[in-house]
Amino acid sequence: MGIGLVGKASDAVEDCLVKSVDLVGRKTVPAHTNANRPRAAVLDNYPYVRRSLAYWSLSIAGLSAFFGIWWLAAATGLAPPQFLPTPLAVAEKFVQLLHQPFAGYTLQEHLWSSLQRYLMGFGLAVALGVPLGLLMGWFRWLDYVVAPLFEILRFIAPIAWVPFAALWFGTGIGGPVLIIFAGAFSPCVVNAYRGAKFVDAYLVEAARMLGASNRMIVLEVLLPAAMPSIMAGLRVSAGLGWMSLVGAELIVASSGIGYMMVQAQSSINTAIVMSSMIAIGAVGGAIDLLLRKIETLAMRNRRRAK
Amino acid sequence: MRVLSYSPRAWVSVMTLAGALFLWFAATSLSGWINPVVFPTPSETWASFVQIATTGYADGRLDQHIVQSIKLVMLGFGSAAIIGMPLGLWMGRSRYAEAFFNPVFTLIRPIPPLAWIPLAIVWLGLGDAAKVMVIWMAAVVPVVINSFAGVRSIQPQLIEAAEMLGVQRGRFVREVMIPGALPMIFTGLRLSLQSAWTTLVAGELIGAVRGLGHVLTQGSLDIFPSMILVAMLAVAFCGWLMTWALGWLERRAMPWRTAS
Amino acid sequence: MSNIVFENVSRIFQRSGSDLLTLDGISLEIHDEEFVAIVGPSGCGKTTCLRMAAGLEFPSSGSVSVAGRQVKRPGPDRAVVFQQFALFPWKTVWENIDFGLRSKGLSSEERRAIIERYVQLMNLTGCESAFPHQLSGGMQQRVAIARAYALDPGVLLMDEPFGALDAQTRVVMQEELVRLARVSPRTVLFITHAVEESVYLADRVVIMTTRPGRVKEIIDVKTVREAHHWDQYTKIEDVMDLESFVHLRTHIWKSLREEHAGRDH
Repeated sequence: MGIGLVGKASDAVEDCLVKSVDLVGRKTVPAHTNANRPRAAVLDNYPYVRRSLAYWSLSIAGLSAFFGIWWLAAATGLAPPQFLPTPLAVAEKFVQLLHQPFAGYTLQEHLWSSLQRYLMGFGLAVALGVPLGLLMGWFRWLDYVVAPLFEILRFIAPIAWVPFAALWFGTGIGGPVLIIFAGAFSPCVVNAYRGAKFVDAYLVEAARMLGASNRMIVLEVLLPAAMPSIMAGLRVSAGLGWMSLVGAELIVASSGIGYMMVQAQSSINTAIVMSSMIAIGAVGGAIDLLLRKIETLAMRNRRRAK
Repeated sequence: MRVLSYSPRAWVSVMTLAGALFLWFAATSLSGWINPVVFPTPSETWASFVQIATTGYADGRLDQHIVQSIKLVMLGFGSAAIIGMPLGLWMGRSRYAEAFFNPVFTLIRPIPPLAWIPLAIVWLGLGDAAKVMVIWMAAVVPVVINSFAGVRSIQPQLIEAAEMLGVQRGRFVREVMIPGALPMIFTGLRLSLQSAWTTLVAGELIGAVRGLGHVLTQGSLDIFPSMILVAMLAVAFCGWLMTWALGWLERRAMPWRTAS
Repeated sequence: MSNIVFENVSRIFQRSGSDLLTLDGISLEIHDEEFVAIVGPSGCGKTTCLRMAAGLEFPSSGSVSVAGRQVKRPGPDRAVVFQQFALFPWKTVWENIDFGLRSKGLSSEERRAIIERYVQLMNLTGCESAFPHQLSGGMQQRVAIARAYALDPGVLLMDEPFGALDAQTRVVMQEELVRLARVSPRTVLFITHAVEESVYLADRVVIMTTRPGRVKEIIDVKTVREAHHWDQYTKIEDVMDLESFVHLRTHIWKSLREEHAGRDH
């Protein structure tokens, strides 16, 4: 017992260690020398292959197939030219509409008219919806009171408001604004609500422990914490709002891109219909891109939680 | 008492709805503050509901209109799902399929489904076919995109484990890829159904001989606010019903999520 | 004869701009039915070594062979136990273990017998119909280990399998793994951060340098273990108390410390 035995044990272990293969006796040298570098790696991360030539050429092939089939169907007269103009014809018409009015205004003028309504409706939805959602998330009693009504309203497809919009506003600007609002309102509320409600409780506890006032907690903890959700809601809301606008203008408008489309449809001017679709898609896509950029900018200091 | 076993939340909901109902009644019938031409009274609304449910309105009874609308939605949504899911899954699994189809989707996607209505009318007229086409266009995009995302969302380790366990392609697709993508596939189906329903209503508003949208149009032309309200509530109800049905399907399809 | 041979294996990770050498000339042989643990600082490439043996990644130069054949793809002959369990959430415990067996062309009675055996061995009885999310981390890892063993693989590759478990569960699992390894011996490559774990479980411990990873030292634990009769102790804390154990552990710690210190410069 005691030191003697212990000493013996460690000696025996040392012997074993000495017998172990010691491949690298030298100190670690961190840098690698270019001279000994093997040739290029096979795959970085199997199975995700990098974007290769094959990928891009297939993409081009897909696009070509799409336009090719379109052009073939149109040019060979498979479908009458009235119903299916060639891609080129559509492009020409699009450019033409930029300086030649149709149904009262040029393409840009129609678009501007639509955008005005859209911004009004969307702005209203955000201004009312986000605060409401936040308050519902923070104050449970408000949630209980408002939620049942909201749920019912949420399920009414925005477009179903058209008759009332026509009744209340005629062909005035209020009609489309109401419908856009109806479409854009729900996502704002729901996402703001989620962002407010599902804040990590630890954050609030930490803030209290650090002695923050209620105002500080709201402005510097709760609001930033809800931001990602709010921004996501804004994007969904913008998309739905834009779609509602188009729908509204198909029925109750005297100007705007949707109105232009309907007029073109009744005169079977397919090229104009398609041009309007392109314009609608382009603007809708631009709005979405813009919001994405804003979202990235607002979130740039955060790390996405894995 | 049994009543007390319900949660406070349920209680508040009931009271809120009762309160809203009372407010509605007070603002319209009782005080005449809101002109019945602008917004109907509760009794008018009830009367209209009874009317359309029994004798009918706008060439049909309520149930006939509902069946017509839902029929078209199911047709468009169903075919979109049947085509869209395999396509999305294929795009998710194969980088080459993704490369081929993605550009076209990127082009088509920004165009809101409702914007297809005039084109559909030009091509197929004002009948049911045009509506189904637009519903299909509306429904197919979310299904494809979410099925695609669903496959990509499967944890790489699960795929590695599957490969390590030596599974062949057929079993891999059936037992790993599809169940793994299922949550997002259902998200896509939900979005798709919402979109489809909205599109259907819009289509029927523009031109139809039957269906809830047609009721809305007719009510608008007849300046019949109470009937408009009935139709709106019917739209809401059907939307809710279909969403609930999809949710039921979702729970059945993914038993591992609900087991606790 | 299932051995693993790393022959002058190097791995370059290509990044935009500069390339990163993560492994530099690893040459190592893991003999048939030998339990080898690799320890090393974070980022030294030990997981990469395991993944190359599994066929999930490939070397930039040099070769990795198992049972004499170069590794080209993953397969059930080299079963992997992942740190994050990698159980299929939509399958029950039973189905998860069954999954790999179904590709082996066994009859359903044979499969059932195998699954029942490993369910019992891994203390999973009663949980066969549970879904992974209903189980604790320790139980899930047991399922993953059962799944791997059920394949009757020549080689078992374990990538920090107990890393996601709490300290107490970890100890229990280590004891169970030792028990299993003695009952059903096979070639095992075990990656870990924990030095005690490596000394307790392995026949040999390989110490790797910091990036770029090279083999720094290989410790022969088996000789010490047999000389001091560690196996007579069933409880892990008794083994960890032994002078011989402590000596080995301290040696490895010191070796690793040098690597950490070297990295901080």
